Amino acid sequence: MNRIAPLSILALGILAFATLLLVIVPGIQINTEPPTPGLKPYTAQQLRGRQVYIANGCVYCHSQQPRSADQAPDDIRGWGRAAVASDYVFDRPHLLGTMRTGPDLLNIGARLPSREWQLTHLYQPRAISDWSIMPAYPFLFEVKDKAAPGDVVVSVPKEYAPRHGVVVAKPAALDLVAYLQSLDRTMPVPAKAIRDDGYDNDGVGK
Amino acid sequence: MTRQARDNRAPEETFEPYEEHRGIPLPVLWIAIALALWGVVMLFQSHSAADSGITRRASQLSTQTGQTADAGAALFVANCSTCHQPEGTGISAAIPPLAGSPFTAARPEVVTQILLHGINGPIRVGDRDFNGHMPSFASVLSNEEIARIGNYVRKRFGGQPPELTPQLVARERERFADRGPWAGGAEIAGTVDASLAPQPPTVPARIVPTDAATRHLVNDGRGDAWACASCHGAQGQGNEDVPRLAGLPAAYIAKQLGDFSSGRRDNDSMRVVARALSKREMAALGRYYERLSVPSTARPSLGGDLARGEKLALEGDWENKVPACFSCHGPSGFGVAPTFPSLSAQHPSYTARQLADWAGGVRSNSPVQMMEKISGRLSAEDRRAIADYLATLPPVPARKPTPEEASNANTAR
Amino acid sequence: MPTPHDKQRQPEGAPPATAPRSHGRTARTAILALAGGGVLFVIGMAAFETGLLGDGGDDTNRRETAAKQSDAAFQPPALGAIPDDENGAAIRRGMAIFLNTKTNAGDFVGNDLACVNCHLDAGRKPGSAPMWAAWVVYPKYRSKNGKINTMEDRLKGCFTYSMNGQGSPSGGPPPVGSDVYRDLEIYFRWLATGAPTGEKMKGAGYPKLKKTDIGYDPARGAKVFEQNCASCHGADGQGQRDINGRIVFPPLWGSGSYNWGAGMARVNTAAAFIKENMPLGQENRLTDQQAWDVAAFIDSHERPRDPRQTGSVEATAKAHHGGESYYGKTLNGRLLGTGTSGS
Repeated sequence: MNRIAPLSILALGILAFATLLLVIVPGIQINTEPPTPGLKPYTAQQLRGRQVYIANGCVYCHSQQPRSADQAPDDIRGWGRAAVASDYVFDRPHLLGTMRTGPDLLNIGARLPSREWQLTHLYQPRAISDWSIMPAYPFLFEVKDKAAPGDVVVSVPKEYAPRHGVVVAKPAALDLVAYLQSLDRTMPVPAKAIRDDGYDNDGVGK
Repeated sequence: MTRQARDNRAPEETFEPYEEHRGIPLPVLWIAIALALWGVVMLFQSHSAADSGITRRASQLSTQTGQTADAGAALFVANCSTCHQPEGTGISAAIPPLAGSPFTAARPEVVTQILLHGINGPIRVGDRDFNGHMPSFASVLSNEEIARIGNYVRKRFGGQPPELTPQLVARERERFADRGPWAGGAEIAGTVDASLAPQPPTVPARIVPTDAATRHLVNDGRGDAWACASCHGAQGQGNEDVPRLAGLPAAYIAKQLGDFSSGRRDNDSMRVVARALSKREMAALGRYYERLSVPSTARPSLGGDLARGEKLALEGDWENKVPACFSCHGPSGFGVAPTFPSLSAQHPSYTARQLADWAGGVRSNSPVQMMEKISGRLSAEDRRAIADYLATLPPVPARKPTPEEASNANTAR
Repeated sequence: MPTPHDKQRQPEGAPPATAPRSHGRTARTAILALAGGGVLFVIGMAAFETGLLGDGGDDTNRRETAAKQSDAAFQPPALGAIPDDENGAAIRRGMAIFLNTKTNAGDFVGNDLACVNCHLDAGRKPGSAPMWAAWVVYPKYRSKNGKINTMEDRLKGCFTYSMNGQGSPSGGPPPVGSDVYRDLEIYFRWLATGAPTGEKMKGAGYPKLKKTDIGYDPARGAKVFEQNCASCHGADGQGQRDINGRIVFPPLWGSGSYNWGAGMARVNTAAAFIKENMPLGQENRLTDQQAWDVAAFIDSHERPRDPRQTGSVEATAKAHHGGESYYGKTLNGRLLGTGTSGS
């Protein structure tokens, strides 16, 4: 191993170049991007829900990045328009995800805004879709004999309901649902927003 | 390699393996250089793609907002001509003519108010009476677009100078912000321009009250069914791939609920809800949503080609055996009760999804397999184009209950 | 057989001193590499552009559509191609009459139909008696009235029978020389732009439907109607209207439909039209037998009287209804052809 100096200089140079182009320049570019018009910062409850989302590993199965029509039929799946950089201004860190074992969730708040639906589904996904492979999250709920005033009772079909009492959502479940309801990036995007233009390289409108 | 050769290689303790310096073979260099050149070309191409993407979106945006050269004429063709006809002749006994109509020659506020709120009721144009429904354009056209259309219509059919400005339209929007459609020519003559009198008398609409059970089902749900409004919105306006229900034919809604319940139409969430409903409740929900008149919340969002969508909706693509959407769903996409749902102001994600489902065999509950066959002949681009185009249309004006329905509801209580 | 190890053994142990290579050799290698790389790149690009590499799917598609087109029927000009002059204005008027006949030629229309109801796609669709194919064969002899018919004569027949002119405000078809004829004719002429004159074109008329062995039967047709037609034309065959009372699906019988003298009142014509065009977008969904049966079902309902009738139905039937018509026949104890009230 002679000539170690030039080798290490070259290696460090390549690393520095890659860091510059893949980390620093995009970082500068994205940091100057204002939020998509109409996008609101998360509330305290939604932020708590976001922590529940992270803690329960939702990100391992659900992405938060609808793709453009050239790359995947996400728009026809109802997952919403292709995401742009400014959609994630308030997400630090973003929860883009890489796996799509389940559907994309970036617009779940727009397509399934029902709190009741979300609570039932979190308590027992099979109550809605018998083929669903999503885990149930019963520990976000508790079974009470009688709902106290202010309790949110979850509607559960008979075959999944507890024998006695009612299913009541714990605060964590309500926070999580509040976060899911806030996931709505259906607002129109400015023409100049930073985005991935897919494979559409002939510029012809399709 | 033979056994012989291996035997010959006696282990040499002193031997250190090393690599002799050998140049990279030329072909490898060739490929590397060719790939590098290719990469550079690709970089430039994708860069120009990003630019062209931006210009394309900008041009789409400007056509959508009608900022083209002869915007008034284009907006008239796109928004008015399916009913009032390109020459403004209207349709005998159904749609009032614009040509020679006193309404186009009246004060500029008249056309503005009609465009903003629509008309639900009798109206006299010349010596002929009409009793129809015109949609409200307030939710799909901007003040500037309404001013352009208004000026075009008043100039072409009424010979009036361009007196509408976006400011005037904005003022008129404010003036009757919360009102519904005009209840006929008499109300317009009485409120906006008295010179339009005489107009046929307006029969006051008998409001059919929705029973408390249906209201409860819509707004609060039940132990075994989520509230309709929790997904479809407080006014049945829908969002994304949750469809707009307001203004859909009652019988169509009831049929779909029945199909969800029986499994003829596949949707897990709707199956849970529909199985909890009785036939009576399904029918009641249908009647409830049919009568709702709600501003459009749909916007083109799939990047579809609106001109292509308009062509498919109005003329079809007969070479591919695709009839015009409106040849069955009604000449303005307002639907034909009981079988054909209204399409206008429906959310593009929902429309495109349904077309894809029909084409792919996921949904198969249309009469005579009509939609299955037609959707199958549409490309993915065409499906997006149609869905986006339909989202630009004004919402269907709510149908007034017929006198029998009104009396039925009253006696039922 | 030399192996890599044989080679390695040659210098015996010590690594060889890397002989400094001459600059000339390096330069030569560089030039060769660059040139070769460039050539390879150009070849690759050329292969990609000509479609040898990738995009192959597009190419076969293109070939298929080309093949389809050579087989396809005549293409009338696109709607957007109507000229912006006096001709264009007349063409637009003609098209408006064609699409909304009652609105734009209301004095001469005595029912709820429009030309476009039977000549689909604004008179453009092959197999639904397209107007571009009709234009190029007129004037011609027609046995229906036993004389040479100009296009105006033919249109007069349409207004008399299919549009039931006798029930219109004017009580008949447009008078000779009416602008209604002029506008319709220039619309047809424009549709036939580039069509060969005097030729029977592919897609003309309704393709004749061969008779089936068991004949046709309105009772069987009733079932076909219920399953395939009723969702659009209504269980009572009276069509459907939208919320503004605009006709979306035309009535098939009764006072709002074509009269007993219309071509469509003959079972063979109706069967041919139905087989080729109905339901919309699903040509040939019905079997020949079903098309005949349902046509018989439709045409065995009462409709406006034949305007040629001066005496009795029987006499008119003898004079004018030789073919496949229920006119003057008795079905389920009722004589057909007496007309509907109000016509």
